[in-house]
Amino acid sequence: MSAALPVPVIQFLQVVTIAAAAPGVSGVIARVEARLQGRTGPRVLQLYYDLAKLLRKEALAPEGASWVFLAAPLAAATCYLTVPLLIPVLTSYGLPLGYMGDILGGGFILSLASFVVAVAALETGSPYAQLGASRAKTFAAITEPVVLFVVFTVALVTGTDLPYALAATVRSSAGQIVRPAHLLAAAALFMVILYETGRIPVETHTGTNEFGMIEEARPFEHSGPYLALLKWGSAMKQLILYTILLNVFVAPWGLAATPQAGAVALAIVALAAKAAALGTVVAIIDNSFAKLRLFKITEFVAGAFLLAVLGVFTLYLGGG
Amino acid sequence: MAAVAAPSVFAGAANVISVGVLLAEFGMFRQALLRDQVRLYAAQSGLISVLAIVVAAARHLPELYVLAALSAGLKLVIVPLVLRRLLRGAGEASPGEGWSDIAGTGALSLASTVLLAIGVAAFGFFSIGALGIRSPVLPLTALAISVSVALVAFVLMIMRRDVASQAIGFLSLENGISLTALVVAAGLPLILEVAFLFDLLVVVVVFGLLIRVHHGRAESLSTADLTSLRG
Repeated sequence: MSAALPVPVIQFLQVVTIAAAAPGVSGVIARVEARLQGRTGPRVLQLYYDLAKLLRKEALAPEGASWVFLAAPLAAATCYLTVPLLIPVLTSYGLPLGYMGDILGGGFILSLASFVVAVAALETGSPYAQLGASRAKTFAAITEPVVLFVVFTVALVTGTDLPYALAATVRSSAGQIVRPAHLLAAAALFMVILYETGRIPVETHTGTNEFGMIEEARPFEHSGPYLALLKWGSAMKQLILYTILLNVFVAPWGLAATPQAGAVALAIVALAAKAAALGTVVAIIDNSFAKLRLFKITEFVAGAFLLAVLGVFTLYLGGG
Repeated sequence: MAAVAAPSVFAGAANVISVGVLLAEFGMFRQALLRDQVRLYAAQSGLISVLAIVVAAARHLPELYVLAALSAGLKLVIVPLVLRRLLRGAGEASPGEGWSDIAGTGALSLASTVLLAIGVAAFGFFSIGALGIRSPVLPLTALAISVSVALVAFVLMIMRRDVASQAIGFLSLENGISLTALVVAAGLPLILEVAFLFDLLVVVVVFGLLIRVHHGRAESLSTADLTSLRG
């Protein structure tokens, strides 16, 4: 039996796990995607090297850009480091800071990060960055109702909207897993995640094709350590969203039930493995579907909205 | 706020299958090819057969196995086959337009149609909830979903301006009714159910002929040409 870790250490480990593993998960996705296309692809650790290189480079700002341009990457990274405190990353029981905010609270912080990056993109005066920011905000406005309905479903299923409570409910019985409300909410959330992380069928992740650029266009004018922070931030956002889907909705197993060091270490490994598995699924989707035309994205979101709304409907007659 | 208790595993599975039927109905809004439309109809019918098997196993109603087999044989194999055979002239013969003849015939954009259909489905859902019907065999949610399937099928028939989608809409309307029958009257005498299934076959032949005649006259599957027939 290993020694019990103090609670603040576990709390801190949640943040460190997300921050440290995020570029690796992106690396796994890029690698799997390349293998599926018959390419060798980048190393799994490539993003770490990229970040290390960018952090050593000098930073340039466009003329006329104010302090907002430089503060935004820091603010966004801070947001992404705050959210792991609120969601079940490593433990199946709520940690003290986990009750600071509910799922909506976490969603607000993620939106804030996206907002400051968009404002910084507007600061640059560069058409591509502005176009990306404008598109990101346009489509965020229509994915937001989907997220709200997913939260409603969670609230109706558990009677609270704490992520820990839903994870515990899902673990409690098989009936909780096959209930349609749960499956529909999880599917809707997955579609939102595909949108939020800029994956096919919404956006080509690595391309610089301006017709479809949304997320990728926003950090165009940032450079050096600031660009590194933005890249790292979007990797962290991706892992945070994966963690919410996995540890709250789809597979809340493998979390540490005790503060033992061994259990926590196992939970870190389990999270990395689950995120890599989900990343593989995303890579397969990336390779199996075509990118939607920009104006067809509303249809994709309408599909997600349909799933989320049906989830709430089925709950109302007591059958969800 | 009190949590909504989870249904039993059987009820949950039955509800998930019924939701699948409803989602297939929504999927038909999106299909742009006649062939895919028929395929989706077959998938939807398959889900209903699966539901019949689940009910038969959980509720010990052996005659439902026969019904599931008959329904699968008819709706998964014969109806798609007959439809394809009848539409071969209409669909494949003209390569330029071909099967994609029915793409983009919606009266509204896809997203608006889906939102409208969600509203209609909500009406069906909550009106059944207000009726307070109880079924010994299946959960109430499945009944409400079956009514929504029928209503959404109407939306499909109204919104798509091509004869093929309207025929498929009618056939999937019948799927919604089958689902209702399974919920409300799972113990219905088998001979009645079989009679309904053969009615369906007649419907398919009639629709197939109508589509063929329409295509022969208008050289398109669109019903837009019929507007000029108004007096």
